[in-house]
Parts: sequence; structure tokens; C-alpha cells
Amino acid sequence: MANIASSPSGATPDPKQVNAEAGVDANQIEDINLEQPKSYLWVVRLISVVTIMSAWEILGRRVDPLFMSYPSAIAVAAMDMIKSGELITGLISSLSTLVYAFVLASALGIVIGLLIGRYKLVDVSTDWLVNALYTTPQVAIIPLVILWFGLGGNAKIFIVSVSTIFPVLINTTAGVRNVPSQLIDVGTAFEANERQIFMKVIAPSALPYVMTGIRLGLGRAIIGMVVAEFFTAITGLGAIIVKYGNQYDTASMFVPIFVLMFLGVSLSALVKRAEHWIAPWKETENT
Amino acid sequence: MENRKVKLAVEGVSKTFRVKGGKFQDDFLLHVLRRLSFEVYEGEIVSLIGESGCGKTTLLRIVQGLIRRDAGVIRVDGQPVTKPARDRGFVFQQANLLPWRTARANVEFGLELQGVSAKERSEKAQSLLELVGLGQAGEQFPHQLSGGMQQRINLARALAINPAILLMDEPFSALDAQTREVLQREMLRIQAETRKTVLFVTHDLDEAIYVSNRVIVLGAKPGRIKEIIEIPFGYPRAELPELRGDPRFQEIRRHMWNLIRNKPEGEASAAA
Ligand SMILES: Nc1ncnc2c1ncn2[C@@H]1O[C@H](COP(=O)(O)OP(=O)(O)OP(=O)(O)O)[C@@H](O)[C@H]1O
Ligand SMILES: [Mg+2]
Repeated sequence: MANIASSPSGATPDPKQVNAEAGVDANQIEDINLEQPKSYLWVVRLISVVTIMSAWEILGRRVDPLFMSYPSAIAVAAMDMIKSGELITGLISSLSTLVYAFVLASALGIVIGLLIGRYKLVDVSTDWLVNALYTTPQVAIIPLVILWFGLGGNAKIFIVSVSTIFPVLINTTAGVRNVPSQLIDVGTAFEANERQIFMKVIAPSALPYVMTGIRLGLGRAIIGMVVAEFFTAITGLGAIIVKYGNQYDTASMFVPIFVLMFLGVSLSALVKRAEHWIAPWKETENT
Repeated sequence: MENRKVKLAVEGVSKTFRVKGGKFQDDFLLHVLRRLSFEVYEGEIVSLIGESGCGKTTLLRIVQGLIRRDAGVIRVDGQPVTKPARDRGFVFQQANLLPWRTARANVEFGLELQGVSAKERSEKAQSLLELVGLGQAGEQFPHQLSGGMQQRINLARALAINPAILLMDEPFSALDAQTREVLQREMLRIQAETRKTVLFVTHDLDEAIYVSNRVIVLGAKPGRIKEIIEIPFGYPRAELPELRGDPRFQEIRRHMWNLIRNKPEGEASAAA
């Protein structure tokens, strides 16, 4: 706080002597202002978590354990499942499918999205297909997927890929369409060829959109994964949910649900991090 | 000028746009430029001035090769040109810096496209950053720079490919009066140092007189040359406020104003 008072005097704007430090000082002031409200908000959030969890604990104990469970029972069930290795095995199984299919579909989505956004011919020859497939509810095609791939891992990979690819593809296309034409002019004016325009102007300009697409795709990928695990392969977190559901063991059933929740939150936080790391020029615009 | 070699020639250039009429009228043809011809000598600064929409940007983009002309020829050193090339550097009206690149990487952009080695690029960029007075700001991203700093990078980026000709489209019009004067001086200093040929678009009469050897006054609809005015002041020029005190400056200014306003000489002197 102390250097708030000293910084502005050092950063008086002088058009003849614009120095680099002026910008840095201004950022520091911004950070200091932001810090206080942030920690304050965290306290409120913590209070809210504690209150709701205790309410759940108290009320949950009064309900028939068949219909509802409560935090301490879920914690005990979680310990058992960790000890038996069931949870870890399930998590690894789900996660490996998820990562594999997600990476594959994202890469494919980015490439196709770039082409659709840049080339009108690719666009008009595929837009009806993309729209049709995008709007088809994924669950509706599961019987067909099982016919094609059976109940094994490939069916899972297919469903997760289909869930991921469209948000990535559609956002990438939007990113390419939103490249300011002035920036393409800059490329052209400096003699860039088509490949250079693509790699050095269009791709970086579309990157923030691509990252948004990846984040949305990730959410859908997790849904796709659980749905696939319900209906096809008898592995993974989805299968654990089904198993304990069938055994009427509600507390244990909650464990993989929490893991999925945690997975969703942490993976999308990871992507958000990656966004800041990959597109640092967007940082001050976003926050 | 002791050296009268023609560096850039614009010969009979015409451009017509088809404009969508929309709901209330038919599509129509907009004749933006009609058989425009002029020459710029080596090391000379020539300004294009004229009312908004008379085709200044269009002409500059044609010279750079960003858009095609309908008729006419652009020659550099006597050779016809149609595409962008490293003999012409473009300074954009809005800085148009690539936001994901640092100031330094923006300056390096043209060299990178040419495949110049990283070491050579960064040396070149550093010396240009220093030339435009931003030696310390190389690692900043564009959004961290002020408008004036961005315009300096815009200029440095064009200078990096070491073009013989600089095409500048109202490079200072978005800036406040103070910064503009500073950058006008900087530009004159850099031009004196590098001996570039400059074609400079502006709609600021004072700026046109202050920086140019000659000023081309364009008329609108279609764009054509009304008059080419020789500026009698030598280089290095006195500062703008001092120059404004010169009666010849006021005389030229009034004359240009009347030309642009389509008023016969002496009828009105609203400009003064
Ligand atoms: N791509 C285009 N399609 C249709 N009309 C265009 C196009 N580009 C420019 N024009 C029209 O051509 C005319 C000249 O535009 P130009 O940008 O060259 O003007 P200008 O002299 O640079 O004006 P200003 O001083 O406002 O920048 C304008 O009427 C504009 O609407
Ligand atoms: Mg213009």
C-alpha cells in the first residue's frame, strides 16, 4: 500500500519522455487495488461453504440413507473406495479415455475450424453438416454408436470426441472470421504469403476463441464421458455410479459424482490458466 | 531539390467501387479516383490532402498494392509494380499492431516474413526502437503502450524492412495535438537521417505544410488533382508554432483551404 503514494508522481505523463516504467507502475497500482476485495470475497465464500455443508450434514442425517446421504458418510465411503483402489482405477480409466479423445477431437476441431473460417468453399460445403451434427443430441446416437463399436473403449472414445469437436470447431471458425481485416492488411502489406498470413496473423488472432472453444468442449467431453460410461463400457467413474446406484448405496454413489465435479472444475481451471499463458496479451483485457 | 530523380510515379490511376444501394436505391458505381497522375522525387516528402472520402487512402493502398486499380500504372524507379514489396513500407492510420506480439516482435514482423535470422532481426529492431525513442519499451505488448507509442512502433515496423519509399496514411491524426507535433518532428528527423521518399496522407493543413516539399490538393467525386503546391520552406524546418507566424505559411494555408472548400480566391477567408 505504501508505494501507491509514491508511484503516480514517478509516472507523470510526458510525451517527450515516455518511458517503459510508467506502464509497469500503473499495473502495480491496479493489482494493489484488486487484492483487498479479493481476499474479502474468499472469506465470504468460505463461510457459505461451511454453512451449507453443515446444513447438509444435519438435514441429511434425518433422511432415509436410501434417498440421500450426507458429507461425513460420503467421506467414509470415499476412504473405503480409495483403500480398495476402486476409485483410482475408475478415475484412471475415465481420465485416459477423456484425455485421449479430447486431445484428438480438439486438434481435429481446430484444423477443420481454421479451414472453414478461412475458405468459403470449405464453409458452404460443410456448414449444413456441421449444423446438423451439432444440434443432434448426443444421447440419441448412442444406440447407433454401440452398433458400430460395440460396448468397448472405442465407443467411449467416439462419443467423447463427438462431444468435444463441435464447440472447438465452431469457436475456431468464429475466431478466424473475427480476425480484423486491418491485421490481414498488415500481413499483406509486408509481403506475407498465404501460409504466413495463416500462421502469423490468423492463427494467433483466433487463439483466444480457440481456447474458449476448448474450455466449452471440455465441459461437454466430461458429460459425454459419463453418458458413454453409463451406456457402454462397464468401466470408469460412470460405471461406479451405476454400480452403487444398483446396490442402493447412496453414500458411495456420491463419491464418483464428487470426483467428476472436482475433475470438471480443476480441468477447466487448468485450461483457463493455459489461456493466460498462451495468450498473455489478453490478460489485462479479460480480468 | 538538387536531385530530381523520379522515385515514385502514379500514372493515370483510376478506381471505381461498386456500392450496394440497399433498400432505397439501386447499386451504383462510385468513381473514387479518375486518371490521377503525379510524381514523387527521391528523398522528397509529398503530402496528399483533400476532404474526407476523396480517395486518399484508396490511392495509398493502390500504391502499396493492397487493392487493385482499374486503370493506370504505378512505377517505382521506372518499373511498374502491382504487389507489396520491400521497396515500399506502409504506416497505417490506426497503428494496427499485432496484439499478441511485443513491441519488438512487431517491429521484427516484416523481417521475420523475409526469413531474416533472429539475431539480425533483434539487432535491427533494437536500433529502430531507439530511433523512434522507445529503446526501453521493446518487451511491452501493444495494449500496454499509449497511442503515441503505438504509432512510433507502427513507423518503426515500416522502417524495419528498409523501404526506399514510406507510405503514411494519416499516421498522426488519432493523436492529441502535443504528441502529434512531437511525432511530426521525429518523422522529419528520421527522414533527414534515412533520406526516404515519403508519400504522406493527411487532412490537417498545418501538418501538410509543415512536413512537405510539395502538397497535392485533391478534389472529390471523382478524386483528381486540383493543384500541386510547392512549400517554400527549407529543411531542417523551424518548429511549427514559429512557422505559423510566417505570413507565407498563412497565405498557403488560406489558399489550400479555399481549394478544398471550392471557393474562389479571396471570397471567404474562414480559415484564418
Ligand atoms: N472497399 C470499398 N468498397 C466501396 N467503397 C469504398 C471502399 N473503400 C473506399 N470506398 C469509398 O471510396 C471513397 C474514398 O475512400 P477513402 O478511404 O479513400 O477516402 P479518404 O480520402 O481516405 O477519406 P478520409 O480522409 O476520411 O480517410 C469513400 O467514399 C468510400 O466510401
Ligand atoms: Mg483515409
